[in-house]
Amino acid sequence: MNLNQIMTDLSYFIPEMMLTVILLMVIVFDLFQKAETSIRAGYLALGGLALVTLSLVGQDVSTPTGIFSNMLAVDGFGRYIKLVVTIGAMLVMWMSFNSNELKERRVGEYYVLILTLVLGMFFLASATHLLSIYIALEMVSIMSYLLSGYLKEQMRSNEASIKYVVFGAFSSGILLYGFSLLYGLTGSADIVEIQAALAAGTISPALMLLILVLVLVGFGYKIAAVPFHFWTPDVYEGAPAPITAFLSVAPKAAGFAIIIRFFNVAFSNAGNPNLEAWTALENMNWQAVIGVLSVLSMTVGNVVALQQTNIKRMLAYSSIAHAGYMLLGVVVADQTGIAAILYYAAIYMLMNLGAFFVAIHIKNAFDTEDIEDYQSLGYKAPVLGVLMAIFMFSLTGLPPTGGFVAKFYLFRALIEYGDQYFWLALIGLVNGVISLYYYMRVVKAMYFGKMELPGSVHNAPLNVTILLVILALPLLFGWMIGDPLSAYAQDAVQFFIK
Amino acid sequence: MADFIFWIIWALIVASAALVAFGNNLIHSVFALMGTFLGVAGIYIFLNADFLAVTQIVVYVGGILVLLVFGIMLTNKISSAQISQSSVQKWLGLIVVLGVLTIILTAVLPHDWVGSITPMAFNETVAGIGKLLFTEYLILFEIASVLLLGALIGAATLARKEL
Amino acid sequence: MQEHYGIALAFGAVAFLLMYMGFIIQKLIAPNNKTELKMDTYECGEEPEGDGWLQFNIRFYVVALIFIIFDIEVVFLFLWAVVFKELGFLTFVEVFVFMAILIVGLAYAWVKGDLDWVKMKLKYGTGRYSAARLHEAETK
Repeated sequence: MNLNQIMTDLSYFIPEMMLTVILLMVIVFDLFQKAETSIRAGYLALGGLALVTLSLVGQDVSTPTGIFSNMLAVDGFGRYIKLVVTIGAMLVMWMSFNSNELKERRVGEYYVLILTLVLGMFFLASATHLLSIYIALEMVSIMSYLLSGYLKEQMRSNEASIKYVVFGAFSSGILLYGFSLLYGLTGSADIVEIQAALAAGTISPALMLLILVLVLVGFGYKIAAVPFHFWTPDVYEGAPAPITAFLSVAPKAAGFAIIIRFFNVAFSNAGNPNLEAWTALENMNWQAVIGVLSVLSMTVGNVVALQQTNIKRMLAYSSIAHAGYMLLGVVVADQTGIAAILYYAAIYMLMNLGAFFVAIHIKNAFDTEDIEDYQSLGYKAPVLGVLMAIFMFSLTGLPPTGGFVAKFYLFRALIEYGDQYFWLALIGLVNGVISLYYYMRVVKAMYFGKMELPGSVHNAPLNVTILLVILALPLLFGWMIGDPLSAYAQDAVQFFIK
Repeated sequence: MADFIFWIIWALIVASAALVAFGNNLIHSVFALMGTFLGVAGIYIFLNADFLAVTQIVVYVGGILVLLVFGIMLTNKISSAQISQSSVQKWLGLIVVLGVLTIILTAVLPHDWVGSITPMAFNETVAGIGKLLFTEYLILFEIASVLLLGALIGAATLARKEL
Repeated sequence: MQEHYGIALAFGAVAFLLMYMGFIIQKLIAPNNKTELKMDTYECGEEPEGDGWLQFNIRFYVVALIFIIFDIEVVFLFLWAVVFKELGFLTFVEVFVFMAILIVGLAYAWVKGDLDWVKMKLKYGTGRYSAARLHEAETK
């Protein structure tokens, strides 16, 4: 690799380089801050991420390219996920400024860790080599462990961190075993070359299934799909609330990115970058396996969420269920299916972050996380109540919200794909009805039942209200203005294949 | 002779790993882990991976093991709490392990792993690894530095007493 | 190449034997007469009190963590030293970037005082080293 090659590759690598430089700047800047002023590091990080977003938007991805000896890919798919991740990170930072949990402590490191996590997810979204996949995955995981234990004086936060570490280490060990089998079988660690070797069809189906299961364990724990979800509720409950919100959205999107890229490039006969003539490998029926995972995730997530009384735990289980819905799109895995997942990922980010942010603010203002205590909130804090109701309707998937449109695209892709997955769509719909019950319980607590009308009305600080409105508006009106997001997601289905 | 040494290393790894898993004293387990680490370094030598073997000793035996010992010694109230581990549900565990092992072996063993590969001559690998690291795998090398930096900052933050 | 490992192994084996020889000979020829007092921990003739375990200062842990990170860095540098002549100046830049990123981490640990052996904070002290006096000295 000579200098010219490196220079060309670096020109495709500008967002990541910018992010690294900003990361270093924030660290150095934080060294000169006292604990009380360390929040300034957060402002710097937020501004930096805004610049990174701009450079991502301006990035030319018209021809998918592999950079640095095909360790990473620059393509529309990767860029879409990166955008979801950075925008999510910016929203979470904004909310972190308002979180009581993070007051009266040094927060410089907190923002440094978030930036590093974002960088890890950038790599995960574009990794095309077993080694880069693994390093990116570890980067995301280690930063998540550290962030979920950030409230170090609280037992719950420590518990969250240690549970996450144990589960994470275990599943990444299993993933590595799968990778070693893949490398041993194909003699290559590049996923395109792996595909070529596997497509020859000389490997027994039993061995292929073993590899599939091992790899799925590693990726499945990142997206918290059942049965790799055991860490989720405790981590989500113990971690600082903004981090919980972030973990339920961004690493999930990045995890889906690597699942989709890995399975569609390594385990299928992908004809062209846009997946037009797409089929799975004959001796590995991974679509069925993922279908089973999807059904398990939806059902377990929704049924267990029914019994939760803590809003963070309830949202944790609901995020498992949402991973299940998104896995439906992976089953289809053709152009429409992946576009539907991408659309869902963006909408899910908005509505889930919104729900978490309302919960964070209510914890700040009323010091409660119990759904019971949301009693008559709709009258105590009317603006918050309406916004929370919008997020809940959207999470359920009721029209006319964005959640409905996202679910509609997913189910349409599933039904259009053929009759064999009609049952999956049916189970998904039944699950939507189950989820109605527990989301609506929050709305019911806020507006119906025994109401005590308060003397004064509580209003959130202006910047929190603005943030929540920014999240809610696209959910309400996105589809009305011709749904530009859907077109954008369609365009983003474009992979780097040598 | 080489075969004999290989089996001795093999026995060392399995025996010390068993001590780690079944020993009741945490400190003894940590020291038994050293046997496993050293044995794995030996396996690396048999795999003609001399650099990996040395790295294994430098990083794992010299670093991580020390960190583990510190981790135990730093634990609060070490004199009152039992520094021990106990295994529960041994039989269930055994059944699960044997089941998983059977599944893996039935899938893995029938495959012809050696195939047409010819054994390579014994050679040093440091220069080769170095060359690849700074050309083909350059980006991973650089990413690793950011990963290490993040881990350093996070670990130092969590270990510090002040909020 | 292969015989070098044999030499290293023989070297290790001899070292191991020499170390254990003392124990083995002692076991064979020393009289074996264990009393309770003899088996107790020796603490300069005093009767030992409490447990032999003591809690290390948490500071060791941070230092050990930082050590591991730089331990791994050295492993990478070792590779660089071997191929530097062949690959030339470009690798210098590559390694420089790597080092620059990690040195930010070192600066971080340094400024935050994780490398200081004694953190100059005496909570209840009076006199020259009282917290107020030290604070005064720091701010000057």
